[in-house]
Amino acid sequence: MAEIILKNITKEYENGFQAVKNVNLEIGDNEFVILVGPSGCGKSTTLRMIAGLEDISDGDLLIDGERMNDVAPQNRNIAMVFQNYALYPHMSVYQNIAYSLKIQKVPKAEIDKRVHEVAKSLGLEELLDRRPGQLSGGQKQRVAMGRAIIRHPKVFLMDEPLSNLDAKLRGQMRVEIADLYQRLNTTFIYVTHDQTEAMTLGTRIVVMRDGEIQQIDSPANLFNFPCNKFVAGFIGTPAMNFFDVTCEEENGEVILRTNGGKIRMNAEKTQKLKAGGWIGKKLLAGIRPEHVVVADSPEKTVFSGKVSVYELLGSNAIVYSDTDAGRIIMNTSQLEEHTHDSDIRLGVMEERIHIFDPETERTVTN
Amino acid sequence: MNTRYSDKNPIGLRVLTTAGKVLILGVASVFTAFPFLWMVISSLKTKADILNTDVFFPPDPQWQNITGILFDSPIPRYIFNSAWVSLVIVAIQIVSGAMLAYALVFLKFRTRKILFAIVMATYMLPVAATYIPSYIILADMGLLDSFGGLIISSTVSIFGIFLLRQAFMQLPKGLVEAARMDGASHWRALWGIVCPMTKASFITFGLMNFISTYNNYMWPSLITKTSDYFLVSQGLRAFFVRDGAYGTEWALVMAASAVVVIPLLILFAFTQKWFINGIGGETGMKG
Repeated sequence: MAEIILKNITKEYENGFQAVKNVNLEIGDNEFVILVGPSGCGKSTTLRMIAGLEDISDGDLLIDGERMNDVAPQNRNIAMVFQNYALYPHMSVYQNIAYSLKIQKVPKAEIDKRVHEVAKSLGLEELLDRRPGQLSGGQKQRVAMGRAIIRHPKVFLMDEPLSNLDAKLRGQMRVEIADLYQRLNTTFIYVTHDQTEAMTLGTRIVVMRDGEIQQIDSPANLFNFPCNKFVAGFIGTPAMNFFDVTCEEENGEVILRTNGGKIRMNAEKTQKLKAGGWIGKKLLAGIRPEHVVVADSPEKTVFSGKVSVYELLGSNAIVYSDTDAGRIIMNTSQLEEHTHDSDIRLGVMEERIHIFDPETERTVTN
Repeated sequence: MNTRYSDKNPIGLRVLTTAGKVLILGVASVFTAFPFLWMVISSLKTKADILNTDVFFPPDPQWQNITGILFDSPIPRYIFNSAWVSLVIVAIQIVSGAMLAYALVFLKFRTRKILFAIVMATYMLPVAATYIPSYIILADMGLLDSFGGLIISSTVSIFGIFLLRQAFMQLPKGLVEAARMDGASHWRALWGIVCPMTKASFITFGLMNFISTYNNYMWPSLITKTSDYFLVSQGLRAFFVRDGAYGTEWALVMAASAVVVIPLLILFAFTQKWFINGIGGETGMKG
């Protein structure tokens, strides 16, 4: 139960490099906030500043209204799960989980009770006497979570906790973390570069790039209403297709002209494009692979080209085509096979087009 | 394609190589062990036999040489002095060295690199160059000719700081961070997490410094003059001059020297596993 506020937080290293720049973020009670972004974007540094493992160069960190900048990590009542688990190799699973309570001088009987409760909830009862070296990756991860849970902390911090696991186990542990969040009813801050984890776990996602926050929003809003090209490209798998267009007015209608066709704009987009003075100018358009379709008529054709790769994934298929607008990816539930080098004409769901300013890369309209 | 080892190295060559290694190691071992064996054997000889090169093994071992040293000489007192002074010094050196090594490895502060450079620079300084300033400081503190002076002048070991720093650097930083998040202070993280995982280096550090302090001659002989405060080396010299009558009682001098080594041999017998691990760089960390 905690409210965390980051006010103009900056992290500058001795060599002058700014890993985190002027970050403002308010995390409410019981939220599951995900910090996501590519490597080096400052997400882990931000998390470590909240934990107290990194000094804050500038700005304020408030937890429940109290300034925590200079409070030592052990006095913040925050638990953290590390990417490499960081289990104490010379201690048994029991001792690892019990360590924080031992430091707090909790009576032995109480420690024993709580360790067994946590072990039971995480399926670790059989492993309590083992050393970390004798555990599998998934078991180590559970012990690391047990070590965090047992303290009943105000906030859980997780730094890429699943990135050392294989794909199957990662999926399984993701569900367990979601389940844990429901049960514990406390604030979670989770760092990942995996946007699937971000989309499935978070109640709110913070997308970061080069130390700056790009967008803070719900998973659905990030997907549907990205604020710039970076967010649009980062969220969603496969990534959004981008291509150059020219905004034109044709027979009273506003259209986006591509090399091989045109995309009609609806009333809302038309109004935004006109208001922004974009008529006659070049723009950057984006369309998600899910919103690319096979064109059933020449009028609906936006891209023409040849199929490069066809991937059947079971319930859907991904088709990579080299077109007059460059590489376009289509994610379709229509499983008709497209052979390599066969001709293909693609259209788009016009209402799902995203348009960006080619210079600033900020969204013009979604 | 696999090539078998024996195909490349004919059996004759292998035997020759092994024989060569055994010969070199054997000669080196004899050179190392012979003075020690000679000392032990001489300690059981009579005064006459000791300078007689025709007699190597004593025909009639003089056990009273040893018992005389153990029960009728000041040597046991010197051993006791050396043992407890070394123990206290090593304990303080371990605590101070571990704290500095921990700070150098796990704490972030601006002067960290400079501090380490300064510490290492003092290692380059000839020990003799520190004698006069140290002597003056001890004199000013009124600690000359006392156990306090012996202890206080050896509370920091640069070698130990370096050894522990290298061992700590092998540990993942996340372990200390995890301990901090679990509520441990730096002090607790050092002794509860870092120390158990670098046990071999701590034992090596302790043992090597114990031996060098136990055997130290020059510095203790400069600051102590009362025989009550003598450590073994200085005590042996005093024994050599007084009871050994300047070398005329070689058998007794040898017996005293042999007795003095016994505590170190016992110590080494119990700790050699860790000692060798620590020298070899093993931190004792698994998993």
